[in-house]
Amino acid sequence: MSFLLGTTLLAIVTALACALPGAFVVLRRNSMLVEGIAHAVLPGIVVGFALTHDLNSPWLIFGAALAGLLVVLSNEWLIRTGLLIGDAPQGLVFPALFAGGVILLSLDLSHVHLHTEVILVGDLNLAAFRQLVVNDVSIGPRYLYVMLCVLAVNIAFIAALYPKLKITTFDPEFAATLGLRTQLLNTAFMFLVSVTVVAAFHAAGALLVISLLVVPAATAHLISHRLSVMLGLTAAFAVVGTLSGFWIAYVLNAATSAGIALFYGVMFVAVAFADKLATKLRRKRRVEVDKSAQGTKPAVSEAKQLDRSRSKNKPQVAE
Amino acid sequence: MMDPIEFFGNHTFRMVFLGTSVIGLVAGALGSFAYLRKQSLISDVVAHSALPGALLAFLAAVLVLEVNGRNMLGLLVGAIITGTLSALFANTIASRTKIRIDTAMAISLTMFFGGGMILLRIISQGQFPGKGGIDEYLFGNASVITIADLTTIIAVGALALILMVVFWKEFALRTFDPDFSTLLGFRARAIDTLMFTTIVIAIVIGVKAVGVVLMIAFVVTPPAAARQWTNTLPSMVALSGVFGAAGSAFGAYISVSLGSVPTGPVIVLTLFLIFLISLFAAPRRSIIATALRQARARETLRRELRSETVDK
Repeated sequence: MSFLLGTTLLAIVTALACALPGAFVVLRRNSMLVEGIAHAVLPGIVVGFALTHDLNSPWLIFGAALAGLLVVLSNEWLIRTGLLIGDAPQGLVFPALFAGGVILLSLDLSHVHLHTEVILVGDLNLAAFRQLVVNDVSIGPRYLYVMLCVLAVNIAFIAALYPKLKITTFDPEFAATLGLRTQLLNTAFMFLVSVTVVAAFHAAGALLVISLLVVPAATAHLISHRLSVMLGLTAAFAVVGTLSGFWIAYVLNAATSAGIALFYGVMFVAVAFADKLATKLRRKRRVEVDKSAQGTKPAVSEAKQLDRSRSKNKPQVAE
Repeated sequence: MMDPIEFFGNHTFRMVFLGTSVIGLVAGALGSFAYLRKQSLISDVVAHSALPGALLAFLAAVLVLEVNGRNMLGLLVGAIITGTLSALFANTIASRTKIRIDTAMAISLTMFFGGGMILLRIISQGQFPGKGGIDEYLFGNASVITIADLTTIIAVGALALILMVVFWKEFALRTFDPDFSTLLGFRARAIDTLMFTTIVIAIVIGVKAVGVVLMIAFVVTPPAAARQWTNTLPSMVALSGVFGAAGSAFGAYISVSLGSVPTGPVIVLTLFLIFLISLFAAPRRSIIATALRQARARETLRRELRSETVDK
């Protein structure tokens, strides 16, 4: 397999592995928690590397994911103490963990040579460097297969628990009255997010990981009203955004992961504008149709009703 | 541990000590308002988004003005512009689309910071005078603070604190009772903008010494710690400033004494330690205080119930 193809495939698989759980992260309002997780796994990775000497070791991924889970659990615990308000609980623990990671790196006890830039945006090319060779034939980067495993686990988790995930996402109280163990499910799901973040860290770094998780899902959320549609669109945006961002960065010789992050943002803004424009055009057309049919007034009120039905208070995605 | 006389006799160490203390003081004091407005995390967005601004200012200074690209004032102006834009962008997404604020913040953060990382790559690959160590904006380097930097930090930080004191009444009212403040005729938008600008200033003055990635800890941690000790706004702002300054000073001292350990992360750990102590052991509100109070109440109730049964 050629190096370019291998790297492209790696980028796509990493993007998909992150984007699918990302859909639920966005709907569960946990986006900034992922920012915390992505920073908090650094000490886990440094310590894990000191013990395993292999950045792709499953033990390292598992152990470092526990550090990410620490952010989730400490956030819940801090909220429960009732001593803090707002979103402060989310912002207290992860800087300390990240700072610990940076200090560990500077002490260089583990001899893991992660450059500061790699910590933040990863290095896709470096991640794709080590090839998996079977019978003297290269079948793509080793790291590609690690990410394929993570993608498979994510898809299996979502498929197996789809109804439960859906109900705890949209109506947690109802889910609790049904006897679902919402807390356990939430912890399991966030642990999976943590595992994904750690696995993708090598290729995407702390920054791009958030982008990969949150932005395709948010873009899909803009234009979908059903969860299944949203998941499909999330995957589509993830792939299209990665391919375009990857090629633009390749042509311009810019930083790959940062380029993808920026392109994702541009894609989000473009879709948001297109959606606004489409809504406006639709409303205008409806008003005109109604005007020709029966006069102005009821048409306007109907347009307003339509507008109201899209307001924020109502559940946005339902199936 | 290093001898204090040796420490303060050294020019670089003095700069590190004073610079980080001032940054901690200003960020701690103004972070209180972000905390009480329940918008602590926006400081993370602003801090990350300061990176492209600082780098654009560097490019503008080197290419257009042909002066030293690392001067503090240019850095601050650029960082304030992009930092403010990122916060406005996040708020616009949240108010104009169905995307909620947490996701909007994540989108804004990754876009601006991604742009910053691209600029960083361009600068590090190009031929620009004074580009050496420009990636220190990420994690900061307190030991490169010059007298001129320190003067700028103090002047700009003082400006932010003076604004806070002058508009104290408006800030306080807007924080605790936004509807009432509008009713009294204060312009909500104007006060919000002003309050927010002071917070952005408090964040960006730390970019050079602490870096954009860890600056959130300077804004979030001291107020969360101070809140556990006090119930009034003036004392909370003052205590938060003191925590920020003391934590930074102590952290700077330790990191210099240890030698090769970076200053910013050590300060973040010191601040976190102050927070943990406050959360567990502050009188009245903390976890231990609450547990003791509950135990005492339970004991009293038990005694009363027992005496009642005896009376019968």
